[in-house]
Order: sequence, then C-alpha cells, then structure tokens
Amino acid sequence: MNPSAARIAARVLEALGRGERIYTAVVTGARDPALIGRRWWLSGRRHGGTLGSPALDEAVAAEVPALFPPRESRGALSRDFRYFDGGQAATATVYIELHGPPARMIIVGAGHIAIPLSRMGAMLGMRVEVLDDRPDFAAAARFPEAEEVRVIDFRDPFTDFDLGPSDHVVLVTRGHSFDYECLVRLLRMPAPPGYIGMIGSRRRVRATHEQLAREGFTTDEMRRVRAPVGLDLGGQTPAEIAVSVVAEIILFHAGGTGVPLVEKERVVERFFGDL
Amino acid sequence: MDEKELLGQLATLREPAVLATIVSAKGSTPRKTGARMLVGRDGVIAGTVGGGCGEGEVIAAAEELFAGGPPRTVRVDLTDDFTTWSPAVCGGIMDVFIERANPERFDGP
Repeated sequence: MNPSAARIAARVLEALGRGERIYTAVVTGARDPALIGRRWWLSGRRHGGTLGSPALDEAVAAEVPALFPPRESRGALSRDFRYFDGGQAATATVYIELHGPPARMIIVGAGHIAIPLSRMGAMLGMRVEVLDDRPDFAAAARFPEAEEVRVIDFRDPFTDFDLGPSDHVVLVTRGHSFDYECLVRLLRMPAPPGYIGMIGSRRRVRATHEQLAREGFTTDEMRRVRAPVGLDLGGQTPAEIAVSVVAEIILFHAGGTGVPLVEKERVVERFFGDL
Repeated sequence: MDEKELLGQLATLREPAVLATIVSAKGSTPRKTGARMLVGRDGVIAGTVGGGCGEGEVIAAAEELFAGGPPRTVRVDLTDDFTTWSPAVCGGIMDVFIERANPERFDGP
C-alpha cells in the first residue's frame, strides 16, 4: 500500500529522533494518473514505498545526495526524472524533501552575549549548546532555550563533541587565550565546522591571528574564522550583538547580500526618479 | 507553528485532512517550496501556504479531495496587476500539490 503523507511524517520524525537524514519523495506529475501521489523514502540504507516504478525509485535515489548541499539540514524541491519502464521512456515530476537533524549552534563562553544568542539560535530552529569552564556561568537555568549546557576545560574544549561542516561555533569567551585554544582545535579538525565566528575588537582579533600565524596557520586558514563575528549593524548591547551574529548565520545559509533591501531594490530611484 | 510541530500534527491526525504542499515557487511568493498547510472539512487546521496570497484558492481546491477528487497540482498565479487591488499581487507563481493526508480516515473511495 502507498504510504500516506501522515505515515511519511511519522517516518521523518522517527529518523530525526535517531539523528538521521531522511529523503522523502512524491510523484506530483506523470502521464499515468495512477502514479500521482505515490511516495517513497530513503534514510541511510533503509527505504520504503515506491514511486510506482523501481527504475524511477533508483533514478531518484541516485540523484538525491547531489540535489542537497551536505551541510543543509532541510531542503525541498521538484525535479523531472526520465526513466525506462517496461522498455518505454517515461517522465515524472517528483517533489523531494530532505529532513536532517537540526543545525547546531555551539556557543563557547557563557557570558552576557551568550544569553540572547542562545535564545535567538533556538528561534532559528538550531540546537543550541553552551560551554564554559565556569560552573556558575555554564548553568542550565541561565539558558532555558539551550538543549545542552556544559562545563568544559578550555585546554581541550571539544573533546566529546562530534563537530562537522553543518555546525556553527561562536566563540564569545572572556579572554583571547581561550578563543585561541578553541580556534587551534577547530582549525585542526579534519572536517571543521562550516561556520566559525569569534567576537572581538580589531586588536583582539589581530592578537589571536598573530598567535595562529606563529603556530604555522596560513592566511587561508585564518580566513575560515569570521572574526570579528557578525554583520556591521552598529549595535552595542548583548541583544544587538546577538542579532548581528544570527544575521550573519542567516546570510551564510541563505546567500543574501547583507545590504538593506531598500538599497538593493531602490524602488523609488528606479521607478520614480523623474517625479 | 514550527515545521516539526506541523509534522507531529500530520503524523497523528485523527480526522480526515488534505495536505497542501508548495512543491515549486517562482518569483515573489509569501512562502517558499516546502511550506505546508493542513485543511480539514471545516477549514485550515494548521500551517499556511501564504495567507491571502493564493491560500483561498488552495483551500477551495482541497474541498474537491473531500468530495473524492484525485490528488493534483494547483497552480496559483500571484502576478495580478497591482492596480486591481487584488490580494494576488505578490508577483510570483507557485505550484501547490494537494492530496489526502490520511486516506484511511476518509469514507468511501
């Protein structure tokens, strides 16, 4: 029997609960009306349902990993697939979704900026983890939106963390020696987090980079670190700084320009210039 | 309502419902590909495919599925001339796939 949308939703939630990626597909256009609404899913090596033809299932399975960037945890698109069914060429429009474990925001340093940052990361649907070496600061009660609050040792801050390209790490520690310790470990990972941001004044960022240079890191490696972190909004308060950081994270994923839309679109100048 | 909550509702529906999913969107549309809405016999249960901009059309099409109609793609054109004051002036076109979310809960064919 064709799995219903409700059944597939349950599958997706199960996969997310296990921390696995799952692709789901449904035929939305085909010459044979019996195919419309046929569903199929794939998670790791497991799969179920069918799009109505094993050849079409295989064509979709072969293409899905390339359709969605590996660092994204969510995606949705429609594609036309050509396949052979009983020796005949056929085409079907298939709508495919990717659901993966939510992106993580790891906030290192549980000070005053971490509080609004944790809240905003959770608002963006990220799994937020907060780390500090001070138990009074790395206290769960200070970070109700965080999934995890941990006391760590800055000499080996990420020892139990399985960090990868889909993760966001924001360094807001209380001293640049701690930032440096974290950066060295992050940059030496075989697959570092996709987004690494570090707060700091120009002077503090420069001091950290000088230490990295002495340690043999290249300028290409330094450029992997967004430091100073955030967009230039001019804000000063912890909440304003947190907005500038999450704004940069959105920009990183969504690929905008970061300029005000009024300047990008210039509706008045373009359409009302001669009034 | 966030996406996970909507998935949860979809997974545990007790009443018959129609699922509407934006499967492609071109130009300016209020919601993008992947947005979903659940429609019950008495109207929207959860989610949105864009509010005023085309949602009414989708809800009307969902009625057909309660009446036994087959799953299909509804094309919603939001490119009306803005001088008409129509709600559909967002500037885009979207395809919304509508289907029975839980066919086992529907009576008859």
